Amino acid sequence: MAKLTLNNKWQRFGLVLAAAVLAASALPVGSAVHAAAPAQTEIPPAYQLAAENDYYEMYVDKTLLSFKLLDKRNGYLWHSGIDETAEGDRLNKSWRAFAQSGISIEYLDEKAVSKRVSLANSPHTLTVTPIDNGISADLTFQDYGISLRVLMQLEETGIRIEIPAESVRQDDPAFKLGLVYIHPFMGATRGGSTPGYMLLPDGTGSLVRFADSTKAKNIFYGRYYGTDLGIIAKMPYDRRIVQPYPISFPVFGVTHGEKQNAFLTVIEKGASYAELQVHPAGILTNFNFIYNAFIYNQSYFQATNRSGAGVTTVQRQTNSFDVVMHYRFLTDEAADYVGMAHSYQRYLLDAGLLNRAEQPNPDIGIRLEFLGGDKENVLFWQRFIPMTTVSQMETILDDLQLPNPEVVYYGWQPLGATNVPPTSLKVENGLGSVKELNDLSEKIQTEGGHFSLYLDPQAALWEESGYSPRNDLAMAITNVNIEGYNRSYNYYFSREALERRYNELSGDIAERLNTGLALDSIGWLLYSDFRGDTPYSREAALSVYRQILSETPLRLGLYRPNDYLWSVTQAYYDIPLGDNGYIYTSEAVPFLPIVLAGYIPYYGPALNFSSNLSQDLLRQVDYGIYPSFFLTQEATANMLNTASTWIYTSSYNQWGSQVQQTYQWMNALLAPVRGRGIIDRVKLAEGVFATRYDNQLEIVVNYTSSPFEYNGISVPAADAVLVESVP
Amino acid sequence: MKKLLPVLLIAAILLSISPSEVGAFSPYTTWAVGPGGNLYPSQDAYTPLDEVDLPISAAEELFYAPDGFLYVADTGNGRIIKLDEKFEVAAEYGVGLLQAPTGLFVDEEGVFYIADAGKNTIVILDKDGNLVNEFGRPSEPLFGKRREFLPRKISVDVRKNLYIISEASVDGLVMLNTNGNFIGYFGANSARMSLEMILQRAFLSEEQLSQFIKNEAASPSNLAIDNQSLIYTITAGTSRDKSIRKFNIAGKNLIEQVFGSQTFRDIHVSEDGLMTAVDADGLIYEYDLDGTLLFVFGGPDTGDQRLGLLSKPASIERVGDKLYVLDQDKNAIIIYQATEFANKVHAGISLYMDGFYVEAKPYFEEVLTNNGLFIMSYQAIADAYYKQGDYAQAIQAYRYAEDRGGYSDAYWELRNAVLQRQLGNAMMAVVGVWAASSIFTHAEKRKGWLEPVRRWLQGLSRYRLVDDFLFMFRFIKQPSDSFYYIKKNKRGSLTFAFIIYAWVLAARILSLYLTGFTFSPYPSPAWIPVENEMLYVVMFVFLWNAANYLVSTITDGDGSVRQVIIGSAYSLFPIALFALPIALISNVLTMNEVFIYNFLNTLMWVWTGIMLVIMVKEVHNYSFSATLRNVLTTLFTMALFLLTGYILYILFNQLYEFVWAIIQEVGLRG
Repeated sequence: MAKLTLNNKWQRFGLVLAAAVLAASALPVGSAVHAAAPAQTEIPPAYQLAAENDYYEMYVDKTLLSFKLLDKRNGYLWHSGIDETAEGDRLNKSWRAFAQSGISIEYLDEKAVSKRVSLANSPHTLTVTPIDNGISADLTFQDYGISLRVLMQLEETGIRIEIPAESVRQDDPAFKLGLVYIHPFMGATRGGSTPGYMLLPDGTGSLVRFADSTKAKNIFYGRYYGTDLGIIAKMPYDRRIVQPYPISFPVFGVTHGEKQNAFLTVIEKGASYAELQVHPAGILTNFNFIYNAFIYNQSYFQATNRSGAGVTTVQRQTNSFDVVMHYRFLTDEAADYVGMAHSYQRYLLDAGLLNRAEQPNPDIGIRLEFLGGDKENVLFWQRFIPMTTVSQMETILDDLQLPNPEVVYYGWQPLGATNVPPTSLKVENGLGSVKELNDLSEKIQTEGGHFSLYLDPQAALWEESGYSPRNDLAMAITNVNIEGYNRSYNYYFSREALERRYNELSGDIAERLNTGLALDSIGWLLYSDFRGDTPYSREAALSVYRQILSETPLRLGLYRPNDYLWSVTQAYYDIPLGDNGYIYTSEAVPFLPIVLAGYIPYYGPALNFSSNLSQDLLRQVDYGIYPSFFLTQEATANMLNTASTWIYTSSYNQWGSQVQQTYQWMNALLAPVRGRGIIDRVKLAEGVFATRYDNQLEIVVNYTSSPFEYNGISVPAADAVLVESVP
Repeated sequence: MKKLLPVLLIAAILLSISPSEVGAFSPYTTWAVGPGGNLYPSQDAYTPLDEVDLPISAAEELFYAPDGFLYVADTGNGRIIKLDEKFEVAAEYGVGLLQAPTGLFVDEEGVFYIADAGKNTIVILDKDGNLVNEFGRPSEPLFGKRREFLPRKISVDVRKNLYIISEASVDGLVMLNTNGNFIGYFGANSARMSLEMILQRAFLSEEQLSQFIKNEAASPSNLAIDNQSLIYTITAGTSRDKSIRKFNIAGKNLIEQVFGSQTFRDIHVSEDGLMTAVDADGLIYEYDLDGTLLFVFGGPDTGDQRLGLLSKPASIERVGDKLYVLDQDKNAIIIYQATEFANKVHAGISLYMDGFYVEAKPYFEEVLTNNGLFIMSYQAIADAYYKQGDYAQAIQAYRYAEDRGGYSDAYWELRNAVLQRQLGNAMMAVVGVWAASSIFTHAEKRKGWLEPVRRWLQGLSRYRLVDDFLFMFRFIKQPSDSFYYIKKNKRGSLTFAFIIYAWVLAARILSLYLTGFTFSPYPSPAWIPVENEMLYVVMFVFLWNAANYLVSTITDGDGSVRQVIIGSAYSLFPIALFALPIALISNVLTMNEVFIYNFLNTLMWVWTGIMLVIMVKEVHNYSFSATLRNVLTTLFTMALFLLTGYILYILFNQLYEFVWAIIQEVGLRG
């Protein structure tokens, strides 16, 4: 008891200290905002009240479609653009028009040359009609014959913007609509005048703090869900470089003063044709601004001979999609990236895009991915090299005795990992039978874990048999088969082939095997398909994926799924441990983990390949990420002549004890907060973070090389502790 | 109730490496040399830590001086700057004295040695930046009358000899003393003649030749010096495997071959036995001091601006477990931090380079746990086993490491042990068998025990194929006589000729698989390109027969197609008979007996060649000189066949391209 009171005292002291630190850090922030803010509180007469509800008043300039939003909760005024330019803004005429206008477009002429014009600097007609909670505006850029309708409506959480697909018209055959920019200067700030940051959906989330200068030399363009292979045909490949994680959720945020004011933008429809553009102050202009641009037509290079000569042309058919996006406004405590994550989580729950995956097991999961085997060439034949048979897998699991293994079996199909899986369930003879597999799967499940077969349903492995190269493959706009790579080099199935093959196989598995599926690629790779006369858009592909996966009668784990598949995801694999490391970003933050925490368990990349194991483990505990390992029974050298050499270390003999230790350590820390939401994450000191869960527990992670005192508890160097939150 | 729930990290998870803020994600793949000398992905050796912008312009050199500070030759601003711990400019030197410093060396006393590319002079400043000496082109006649002096990079050894990279100097490094007196040239690269160049020289006129780049040795582009005054140079624009050289004081190159780059920019050698180089693509190569590649990582920044990618790297330095790379385009220093994994490798390398094989072994075993394909580890472990006398383990590890010399040495030890133990017994056995067999032969001659067997065997020769088979052995003793039988169609058959061809093919392929590791050109049977090997044999047989027959018909040869085919087949009998035994013998030989293996192989091939010549002579009934003419013409015809085939292939390819392009165009515009 004495010890407890001592702790109490220390904790109280710590609380006071923490409060003081917080107050101290908050004070200058507040004063800075107020110093910069006064000029911006007046609403110019051009803006008229268009809608009002309990929280907001929306004023719209009906000539430029820009708006002001007054947040009635604290009186903060948001601006969708820049009304008056100031000295040192570095805005030329074109940029000023861009900054003032609510809508700008980029058109493409017949030579596929693009140019940007805005409402403020291009002749146009504009008819604004009031509708429920807002306005509807029909506008036509007369010089180019391009028309569209924009709806701006106030809702409970902020503003909803819509551009219906059928309203987009291109009446002049000489011009095509390239991009539509929506409120590009929404919440823009000058240099470092306002403290705050932009949140980028890069990796798990990344912050760009406002500053007067930046290391960036060009702006950030990020296509949501990655670039469209249907246009570029080949995934860029450079074996030296790890391709950056594509953006997996269509969200960005801006904070004006941390814990003061912020907004979050979420795209509800049209994200697959949207691009995020980020300008840190110092490149081109003196403003920090971030916005979405929607892509209606793209130019592409059509080769006309094999040596690479050709022409640049504009796609023949305009992308048809509705745009719906929401500005969600946050104040006070909610106005930071944690609040943004909660706001996004709320949005997903309301829209039915996030479900709570059942997690009855009191221990955390650990993903153990086993390689069954792969093939190697011998003379003119191919020989199967077994790496982990079904019974070996069972022995390993018995040996490990982990309470909640999330087992994934990779390379189970005949001839192993680099063979196209059949459309009915067949297991490589060298590994075991369907019956043995079923027995093992049921055993794992009764003991509290899960078992899944690995499947990449999109991949038609390059130069392998098992599909029809003539009929089954997706084509790019340039009339060639789409190529890319993940674990192997692939072509990709067309929508029909994908749907047929996936349904046949998953149906057969569901009938004969009590197991789940671990689906790679389909979660994060989205391509349009130009095979045949009616191309399939990314929007169409997206809804097909969601549909066939939701109809699958099996438990699904997905590798890095995009937001539109979270509703069918029971386990999230390979979650990034940070961002892509762009030099102009300030820090990586666990935005994505906070959104998912309590709903979908998320597992990190296999730790075998980690070169800084201790740091990566700390990061995983910090973010609430569960561990993963890649294992084989046989020595890695056995598969030297197969295509699976990217798994350069995997032998159970070498990794077994590491798996045990890692799990014991992480389970002790994370099991008490398993299935709980993250309510806050606080930086206690440089390199020390506390993540608070909704059951009054928090995990303090000390990345530094010296111990850290926290509420009377010493957090050892490079270690983490679980403590009760101070209320 | 506030409860305390501390959970301590298991010590084993956290290795003794002091943690710091390490980037979780690197934008590049790290590669390490694995089996077959190929690159395989590996855990990262370094993760990017930071990019620090500096107030510099197109700086060419970064130098970590003995005083523990970093200095930059700020080329564009004509000065040298000293950076403090926070990468702020702590001091500047040589303002007004320097025009465009591109090379910098700072010695123990803090004296600056600067190669100034603007003035083409060497500038020596004392530690406060005062001018000590400045000199340009050496005046000594030995320097060469027409040689220019264009100093770009500089290093200084303990005896204060200056080693200077002079641009376009084909004679190597310029060696001067601190007074600017010419000492000599050092470590020239050698020029190499390729077949293409020889052909060009043979056929092109002087004028045409002058259009080509002169065949002069590429001049070294940068250098480094280690604490034993060994000089390391890199050469851009030369072949990859010669891009790094390490010279001893006598100017002898100690690195035969290296996995390098054609665009190396800078090299650094550290005291703990690591050599690091960066190339223009932003790839960073790390080696041990013998030039064994450990890691390659990095890549070009193509506008993504991800931390750790480089746009125009100029200089690299290692300080402790960090790498600093100066980027001319970014005007920044990019810092990389060695990972836990790399630290283990480095610890092992450091011991291994100092000869502590056994002590290094545990480190490498741990490295192998992390990366089973890290071949350098097998090498080190094998050496440790060898040193400990555990040859059985060593031979296994050498095999993984693909070290034929080591494998052969370990095998010699093993074989020696077996011989020592069994030699007496073996001699006894040989003598015993010899005695028994001679007694048996003697007795058998009198009693004729084996007569029925012999008669049965003779009876077998009634069968055509058996006779054909036996006929083959006749060629050993009486080659030209035997071809006469073929010519008269008395012995030999087409069927058996094709059997011989198949046999030769099988023997050739099998011998590739059965050759002992010491002599096999392939590290593992799986690497053998069977299809190609088979194609070579089949092509040769086909082309030889076709060409020889065609040639002989126009040069009054007597032989028919049948005779040529059968004759050629029988000529190949040395391969059929001996290829496999030689391959098998190679398994018990070591590098010490390499001459035996080579001799047997040469014998087999020469014999085959002679047989073919005799065949041509006998079958076509030629004189000796006509035979030679025929053989040469046949070989020439074979070459022509190949050339024609190649030309046809190219033409059809063009045709295909053309049709494909038309279809594309029609499809697009139609």
